[in-house]
Amino acid sequence: MRALGGLILLAVTALLMRSTALTVLAARGIVLDALAFATVVWALRTGESGGATFGFVLGLAADLDAAHWLGRHALVLALIGYTIGRLSRTLVRDSARTQLVLVFLATLVHEAWAVAFELGGLVGWRYLAVRVLVAGLWTAPAGVLLLTLVRQGSGQPLFADAALGSRQAA
Amino acid sequence: MGGILPPPDRRGRTLLGIYAGISVVLLLTGDHLPQGGLRAAGAFVFAPLDRAVLVVDRLSAAWRENEALHHRVTELELEVSRLRDAGAENQRLRDSLGLPKYRALNLRPVEVLAMSGEPIPSAATLSAGARQGVKVGDAVVTSEGLVGRVGEVYPTLSRVVLLTDPVAAVACEVESTGVQGILKFSGTPYPRLVLSGVPVADTVRVHQRVITSGLSLRYPRGIPVGTIARLGLDPTGLTHDIEIAPAARLSRLRHAYVVPGPAMPDGVQ
Repeated sequence: MRALGGLILLAVTALLMRSTALTVLAARGIVLDALAFATVVWALRTGESGGATFGFVLGLAADLDAAHWLGRHALVLALIGYTIGRLSRTLVRDSARTQLVLVFLATLVHEAWAVAFELGGLVGWRYLAVRVLVAGLWTAPAGVLLLTLVRQGSGQPLFADAALGSRQAA
Repeated sequence: MGGILPPPDRRGRTLLGIYAGISVVLLLTGDHLPQGGLRAAGAFVFAPLDRAVLVVDRLSAAWRENEALHHRVTELELEVSRLRDAGAENQRLRDSLGLPKYRALNLRPVEVLAMSGEPIPSAATLSAGARQGVKVGDAVVTSEGLVGRVGEVYPTLSRVVLLTDPVAAVACEVESTGVQGILKFSGTPYPRLVLSGVPVADTVRVHQRVITSGLSLRYPRGIPVGTIARLGLDPTGLTHDIEIAPAARLSRLRHAYVVPGPAMPDGVQ
């Protein structure tokens, strides 16, 4: 029940920020991918099943909001959630360096897939590459900073429960 | 739960397979599914949260905008007095030529609660809906120019399809020359607005203003749409490739106005 509440809270927060504050920032060239970041966080915390489910639910909500290409975000975020959740078994999840790399890669994959739908084929590859790189370079440090602040605020490791859970599962 | 779900070691893979399958099916068939009801529910749930988040942004911008608006009001008052003379003269000339009178726009102010779409927003949620008299097809403008048209109407909210939506198209004309074209959003080679269908024989220049055309069934005539930012030649060599810089700041909308659209002919939605 607590996990479901956390899932809904994180998903709603990501969607809300995406449609309000992040739109304003994006207009100024600061592209922050809240969907990829939230999926990575949830996948690190709950593993591959939770990551895939969260990514799918969050993506579906984003797809409904976008009105075109239903399933576009759901597919890629479910894959990202599953992959990160799977990788998280073998990674030090509370390491800032690990989080930086994972958020960066997840943002690259999500942006490349999602934005490619808006562009008419490979002609727009240069715009796509710049957009994807900018999103990765902004989202990864900002995400890690946010996680660090939350960790320091809460006074305990964010992913300790998940690490214990996956060891038990193994 | 254990009876329904597969064992933990295969659960992730099974769930991923189900999700991927559903996503692919939705990608192939989703555009034919009725989504308006779900979007209405989403807009209703998110509207209070959107308002709360936007309060900070609105407050920080209010002081700055107030100062700028005072300056602008003074400028516009001076311009209005000059235009009033020109308008009276124009009316006399139109009367003498037997041309119809211009229809004043009826503006209904609304707040923009949320934006959606990437890499450039293609839709926005407005704070007024059917109860406030908003109808599907109404034009949406800011003081700078055209934003789009209302695509879905809910009881207290509505959703506007921005000019940057891939399926939006607006009949436009170049203000100074009357050259006609269709404004569309193009993703190649990068996201941009283009004025299509303008033959190379027509003369157009960079910085000329583009307005909604009198031929448009959906939009009142004369609403500023943008300016010509770049000119090129279409790959076919028959038409211009005209890039338009939008007049309204489509990615930074706070307030807008709904303008009732012209009455549609029978059979046109």
